[in-house]
Amino acid sequence: MKYLGLVFANLRRSKLRSAMTGAAIMLAVLLVCLLLTMPAGLDALLDNLASNTRISVHNKAGIVYSMPQSFVRKVRQVDGVAAAAAITWFGGAYEEAGRVTFPNFAVEVEHVGAVYPDYPISAEHLADFKRYRDGALVGRQIMRKYRWKIGDRVTLRSTVWPVNLDVRIVGEIADDHSPYLWMSTEYVDQALKAQGREGLGIANVVWARASDPSRVNAIMRAVDELSRNSEAETACETEKSFFSNMFGSLQSFVTIILIVTALVSLCIVFIAANTASMAVRERAGEIAVLKAIGFGRRVIFATLLAETLLLSALAGGAGVLLAVALTRALRMFSGWSEALGPLAVFIITGPVIVQGIVLSLCVGMLAGVVPAYGAARKSVAETLHEIF
Amino acid sequence: MQMRVAEPIIAIHHVSRRYVRGVDEVHALEDVSLSIPQGHFAGFMGPSGSGKSTLLNLVSGIDRPTSGEVIVAGQRLNDLSEDELAHWRARHVGLIFQFFNLIPVLSSRDNVALPLLLTHLSKAERLRRAEVALGIVDLGHRLHHLPRTLSGGEQQRVAIARAIVTDPDLIVADEPTGDLDARNAEAILSLLRQLKQDFGKTVVMVTHDPRALRYVDDAYHLDKGLLLEGEDAERARAALLVAAGHGAAPTGAAAGVRAQP
Repeated sequence: MKYLGLVFANLRRSKLRSAMTGAAIMLAVLLVCLLLTMPAGLDALLDNLASNTRISVHNKAGIVYSMPQSFVRKVRQVDGVAAAAAITWFGGAYEEAGRVTFPNFAVEVEHVGAVYPDYPISAEHLADFKRYRDGALVGRQIMRKYRWKIGDRVTLRSTVWPVNLDVRIVGEIADDHSPYLWMSTEYVDQALKAQGREGLGIANVVWARASDPSRVNAIMRAVDELSRNSEAETACETEKSFFSNMFGSLQSFVTIILIVTALVSLCIVFIAANTASMAVRERAGEIAVLKAIGFGRRVIFATLLAETLLLSALAGGAGVLLAVALTRALRMFSGWSEALGPLAVFIITGPVIVQGIVLSLCVGMLAGVVPAYGAARKSVAETLHEIF
Repeated sequence: MQMRVAEPIIAIHHVSRRYVRGVDEVHALEDVSLSIPQGHFAGFMGPSGSGKSTLLNLVSGIDRPTSGEVIVAGQRLNDLSEDELAHWRARHVGLIFQFFNLIPVLSSRDNVALPLLLTHLSKAERLRRAEVALGIVDLGHRLHHLPRTLSGGEQQRVAIARAIVTDPDLIVADEPTGDLDARNAEAILSLLRQLKQDFGKTVVMVTHDPRALRYVDDAYHLDKGLLLEGEDAERARAALLVAAGHGAAPTGAAAGVRAQP
């Protein structure tokens, strides 16, 4: 501890250089901490989104391919299915925005509540959704984004079906991050028929809820068996798997980012090592004098190493704190902005903090050990001879 | 009445120092023997490459001889490891360099207190002793000044305070006046003399400066790694004075001969 004053004084020797090196380490640790939240964050995101009893039934060729809407009735008959609802992409563009800015679906109003009992929809709003043919349930995130309120009327111009629909907001899905709008399948169907066209007739996904999580696999096998050799063979998967596949490319992206981050960390080690080497070279005369007046090799090594360790620890600590502050801010603001919504699950946990601190100490250790050892190793006579 | 002879604090017996530079073996010192009594002010003098700094390094425990024996303050230095030598130096030797070599980011007081970091003294006691040492070199009013705000002479006095703060047996100075003007050089030589007279310190100094002859008790002249004796030493001393334009030595200091200051 008594050498700490000397260590701090040496760090203050070139404030700009110490600050720049510290900033590089801090940003690297910040980046690493944020990225380390991603695997757990994505998993948490899926856990938040997905239920362990819900099953997605969609065309084997992919969700953009449809299946007969009537198939939902067969699904409901499968043993263990508590509820099932057909959902069809409406692709409505809100007139003010002019393009599709949030996902909106035609859903079976009589069944959707039973398929999503975990969604925060009040009984009153669900009842109104069933009561009013033109009713719509809207996620709170969208309600906030467009400053809509219950009772407002909204016109959606479908980019898939040749209809514009005027819907009345009768309730909300009271989740800050819910970006959906649901309207009645029957309403869309009738609007299409009113234009002399065939009705809706198809569904993109049938969501089924199993009465018990242990029955999910059996239900999926049974449902796929039902559609075998039909025009629209199905591929069932759990809700978590469904969303996981949707985020599959994102996970690959995260892997790439993690690799890049490891390389960035390595670069930071080299930068810090270069700084430490420069500092040792510049102070070769002083180090020689310290040795001459009795500072042993261990003390020289320890004080030089302590400089890089201290700088790295301080910068790494700042990086970790910044990461915590940033993720907290994201969580705080996630309810306000649709774009930030999914980021609320990226949390700096205890293990991530430990990994960030360990990383910064490793950077300091790796960067400092070679120059410090080099300076300490030489005999005092050799060092003095080189310098003076 | 018998004159009392002080015990030698430095005893060097048949010391040689050789080292390899590239493919050549350099004979820096050859079969040097001398002893310096405790409380004396000794000067190692000679041209560049004469081996005087090598001899100083051996005396101060910075280097070890290739052959021969170096005994300082009762300790045979030949057999000590690098770390043991560092520990020994910290307890017994105060070092002064030509270019002061103060830590630029530390105040005068903190620079002087540096060697005390190697002791078990409390911080308050370390700083108190540093202040006392700075007072001895008449820099008690410059405690908190950084080296860059001090003149060359003041910086060298801070370095001297750093050398004496541990109350060492031996003070070793390598060209302490080499980077100073005439007035400051005289002041530093006078201060070193004062350390010997007032505090009984043994001071060993390497210098080219003929003015030093007026201050030292013993002057040892070296040339090409050999310690000059007798007439050779007198000739070297005379040549040094002539080269410096002094003509003749103001005192009787000579190689291996006790001077009467």
